[in-house]
Amino acid sequence: MNLLKDIWDIFVIEVRRVLHDKGVILIFFIATLIYPLIFGAIYKNELVRDLKVAVVDESRGEASRRFIHKLDATPEMRVDYHCCNMAEAKHLMQQRRIHGIVLFPRDYDSRLAQKETARVCLFCDMSSFLYYRSVLSATSAVLLDEMQEIQVERYGLAGITGESADELIQPIPFDDVKLYSPAGGFSSFLIPALLVLVVHQTLFLGIGILFGTTREDRRTLRVIPPHLRREGRTRVVAGRALAYLALYLPVVAVDLVLMPRLFGLPHIGRLGDLCLFLLPFMLATVFFCMTVCSFVRERDTGIVTCIFFSVVLLFLSGAIWPQCNMPAFWRLFSYLFPSTHGIQGFIRIGTMGATLDQVGFEYGMLWLQAVLYFVTCCLCLRAGKWFRIGAA
Amino acid sequence: MSEEPKSIFAQALKREIKRLLYQGQARYLLLTSLGIVFCYVFFLTLMAEGQPERLPIAIVDRDGSYLSRRLCHEINAMQGVQVVAVYNSHASARKAMQRQEIYAFLEIPKGTYNDVLSFTRPHLALYSNNAYLLSGALSYRSLATISKLASGAVQREVLRKKGYDENRIMGLIQPIELDTHLISNPTANYQPYVLTTMLPGMLGLSVLLLTVYMIGKERKDGTLRQWLGHNALPALLGKLAPYTLWFATLGVLGNIVLFGRSEEVAFLCGFELHGSFVLVALFTLLLVTAMQATGVFLAGIIPDAHLSTCFAAIYGTLAFTMSGFSYPVDNMPGALQALAQIFPLRHYYMAVSRITLFGCGLSMCWVQVCALLLFLLTGLVGTWRLTDSKTTYQQQ
Repeated sequence: MNLLKDIWDIFVIEVRRVLHDKGVILIFFIATLIYPLIFGAIYKNELVRDLKVAVVDESRGEASRRFIHKLDATPEMRVDYHCCNMAEAKHLMQQRRIHGIVLFPRDYDSRLAQKETARVCLFCDMSSFLYYRSVLSATSAVLLDEMQEIQVERYGLAGITGESADELIQPIPFDDVKLYSPAGGFSSFLIPALLVLVVHQTLFLGIGILFGTTREDRRTLRVIPPHLRREGRTRVVAGRALAYLALYLPVVAVDLVLMPRLFGLPHIGRLGDLCLFLLPFMLATVFFCMTVCSFVRERDTGIVTCIFFSVVLLFLSGAIWPQCNMPAFWRLFSYLFPSTHGIQGFIRIGTMGATLDQVGFEYGMLWLQAVLYFVTCCLCLRAGKWFRIGAA
Repeated sequence: MSEEPKSIFAQALKREIKRLLYQGQARYLLLTSLGIVFCYVFFLTLMAEGQPERLPIAIVDRDGSYLSRRLCHEINAMQGVQVVAVYNSHASARKAMQRQEIYAFLEIPKGTYNDVLSFTRPHLALYSNNAYLLSGALSYRSLATISKLASGAVQREVLRKKGYDENRIMGLIQPIELDTHLISNPTANYQPYVLTTMLPGMLGLSVLLLTVYMIGKERKDGTLRQWLGHNALPALLGKLAPYTLWFATLGVLGNIVLFGRSEEVAFLCGFELHGSFVLVALFTLLLVTAMQATGVFLAGIIPDAHLSTCFAAIYGTLAFTMSGFSYPVDNMPGALQALAQIFPLRHYYMAVSRITLFGCGLSMCWVQVCALLLFLLTGLVGTWRLTDSKTTYQQQ
């Protein structure tokens, strides 16, 4: 039982090494807890509410006033300023006191009275996607409501009333069902992706620091038992990976299973499927990090590289920008990282309730990565002798 | 005997240039710069479309009529979406959604066409995937537009047959029209939203990390005293000056890529810039110096080089979220709104979005100039702490 004994030895050495490094403890156990909590607090309010807007009512009639009241009553918007002219409203916009301007032209009421099409102008602040989305959706909702009222009135004058008027106003009504996150909140959308990224990146950081420190201290071989220095690199890799996996088990349980429940994010997936999915994800991530970190020569370079790529990985994952609209090159590039498949799979199983076979591609890719990166990891350790890479 | 601050500055500058040229320090500068260039290339090519187009959607056609086929064609004619599949049942469409093959689907129930003809109001159902905010919202919008247009088309047909003239029909179908003006981004291009703040943010992050790293290295190598000498401030400025110059140049080049316009040069994006380019460049310079000062502060107050890098990393990544370009700061809990002010990127975003979108001049964003200048004071605190730790070194 030499094999198991060797793996066990390495395992113990590695766990001890992690627990003796303040920096790694900070990253592995504190950062993984703090980051999700901070993000949870930041996005706590989910939706944009009571966005300040200004109205410029040049028409000053009954219809425009009613429209403004309705605007003010929407959850998204709050009419904070009634301006005399566009110049005044524009000035407020430049000061960023408001995020939208609704203009009723001089002929708004008179056109409505003449049974013609009246015009409402909406000016959106484009400095953030959410401003634009909220202002536009609130105004459109009020517009639809107001239109229906006017239509009922006009059809009534034309002699079409009651049920037949309704039939004419909306001959093909449609129901819209927003699946998986009915309110369309920001945290339900972004936090699942961030949680996976936090697990991926902290693991990378921690391993990077461990490997970098060993190299910096020029203890390259000292942390490996003497009889394993020539042969049995696979055992070294296996033992270390097991150590990281064991240490990360509680972290994953808290971050990926508990946190979504704590924040009240959608979590309709089956726990069994999720766990089965997370297994190859963790394996692939650990081996990926160990492979890449073999090239880290200094403790701090690892940190810098890792931090730098966090944002890039988030965009590569397809959680923000759809995967099908990425240029082919970046899409293939994104397949190299376990975080891409991890984020996709986690969102689909956790938020959308997909089963394991529905994330088959991601699942397969993660197993493939796990095997591939295990091999590269062993190769790096072996090559370390000649190329002065392959930490520890 | 204290030397002239000027000569100390010159000495430190000379020393740093020597370190860069002969002692291999340049590789960190080079790698960081490559990282920044990579980010520009990556983000600009990743979202080259501006707004996601031809998002895959499906139709659950249980009617199989002329109308449902026509709807399918109409949907395919839209720029935002394309029909990739037609299913017979709701369940198979939902499963396709979970497999991420489609972002939305339109369900046309049995007998829809008959109902339309007999005026008994068939109900269409529109399902969209809200787990993906951008693609879900966009595909929903396209399908909702089609459904509304379908209603309008039926109304128009009926009213024509009743003998109304076109003017009156328009007044009946659409009593009010919405004229939407998207200020300075008429196509709702996703790139200017994200990139005008995020790319300078990446620049700022690298400046911060590099500064902390450089000072940490001096500390680790035990050259702190040799470098800072008797008068720390000019020595510090001398060391940082080449980096300020280098990164400010990179930042301004980045600005040119973002806002430059030219028919011949393909890599210029030409995002709307209503204000003055010089002002944007000034803010980029201010951002670089503010990040350097913050770096000095962090390296100064946290004597452990590893720990200060860790802190800089955590602080630096939070800046993207706290700047408020993706999720508005005024929507965050109160304490976090206050906290947002300690990130230079927040002030940069507030100023630059004003300059680019609304054409504001310096008179409208002097507050942000002051705020960014205030960060320089933190650098002074950092310098003071550095000299303090220097004396402890001396004692040792």
